[in-house]
Amino acid sequence: MKKCRYEDLIDDYLFNRLSKGKKEEFEEHFFNCPRCFEQIKEKNELISVIKDKGDSIFKDMRIEEESKNRTRDKIFGFLSPKPLISATLTAALVLIIIFGIIPNITNETPEFMMSDDAIRGSSITLISEAIPSEFRWEDLGNDIEYKVFIYNDELLWEKSTQNNTISLPEEIKTKMIPGKSYSWQVKAFSPEGTLISSSSKVQFTWRKNN
Amino acid sequence: MKNHNSYDLKKITSKYRPIVTFKVKKSIGSHTPEWEDIVNEIMLNTIEKIKSGEFKGESSVGTFIYTITRRRIVDYIRRKKRRAHKYIPESDPFPDPHEQIENKERAEMLAKKLEELKPKYKTILYLYYYKDLSRREVAQRLGISPRKVSERVHYAQKLLRNLIKK
Repeated sequence: MKKCRYEDLIDDYLFNRLSKGKKEEFEEHFFNCPRCFEQIKEKNELISVIKDKGDSIFKDMRIEEESKNRTRDKIFGFLSPKPLISATLTAALVLIIIFGIIPNITNETPEFMMSDDAIRGSSITLISEAIPSEFRWEDLGNDIEYKVFIYNDELLWEKSTQNNTISLPEEIKTKMIPGKSYSWQVKAFSPEGTLISSSSKVQFTWRKNN
Repeated sequence: MKNHNSYDLKKITSKYRPIVTFKVKKSIGSHTPEWEDIVNEIMLNTIEKIKSGEFKGESSVGTFIYTITRRRIVDYIRRKKRRAHKYIPESDPFPDPHEQIENKERAEMLAKKLEELKPKYKTILYLYYYKDLSRREVAQRLGISPRKVSERVHYAQKLLRNLIKK
């Protein structure tokens, strides 16, 4: 069967990576193309399951990654105290950078740019928009514990809370480079600790305010 | 130009309702209890417009329904945003128990099959869909071409489809 030229856009659409114009063009297409719609449905289901149950589906993968990290830690641990000296030097350098250069940046109010629709499957609705340094999502009820994640390419920060809003600590903010794109995600857990719902990863950019 | 009598309204409803439902849920979130009302409104509105002759067949039926759907969603989000400033909206975590159960069974089966996939395919789904890495990043990590990444994802999906049919 001949491939539809829109098929390659399905993943980007489901992950909200398309521009507004491209997104509307694609949506109009699948309203008219049953074949693409079938594929979207199938992929959407797969992604929802992966997002909701990924923690247990990919248990072994995560253990593998963690053990790799542990090995790395062990190697570094073994090499001490030399690394201690270099760590001290690095820390000194970082302090110089923070107090010498960064203040120009950190004095600026961070602004978070969100895409307009970033909700998928039975996920949590993230309602934060251009709220400086505060992230907010829809409350799912009492006794729910939320875990908030901030990513660049890798996980940058995570924190648990029972509120439906969170602010970033200063030390994380200083690590974030204006203009670079980050993403955030919220997962909700029941009092027993089972994952109830997960939002998609939503991209945002920390912009300099001029 | 078609006369409204030449449209099979039943057929239109059964064909487009799932598509409208998908788009509405994606845009406003499926845990939002209003999604079903909104879908009903859109379908009713469509049928009315076809019956009254307001839809004259200048575009395809799909495009026509898409336009109605998009406008209705924009309208909903605008209103909700206005309300959200006044109070935090209440949400219902269990809006559609019937569908939820049906989907839950399917989801559990799919999760089981995913767990049983060969590492080669499991890894690609883990990096690409779970960790949200881009095609390029996945390719770099595994030392394969971005094209190969797409092919492997595609194949993994095909495997899952077949496993579920069995």
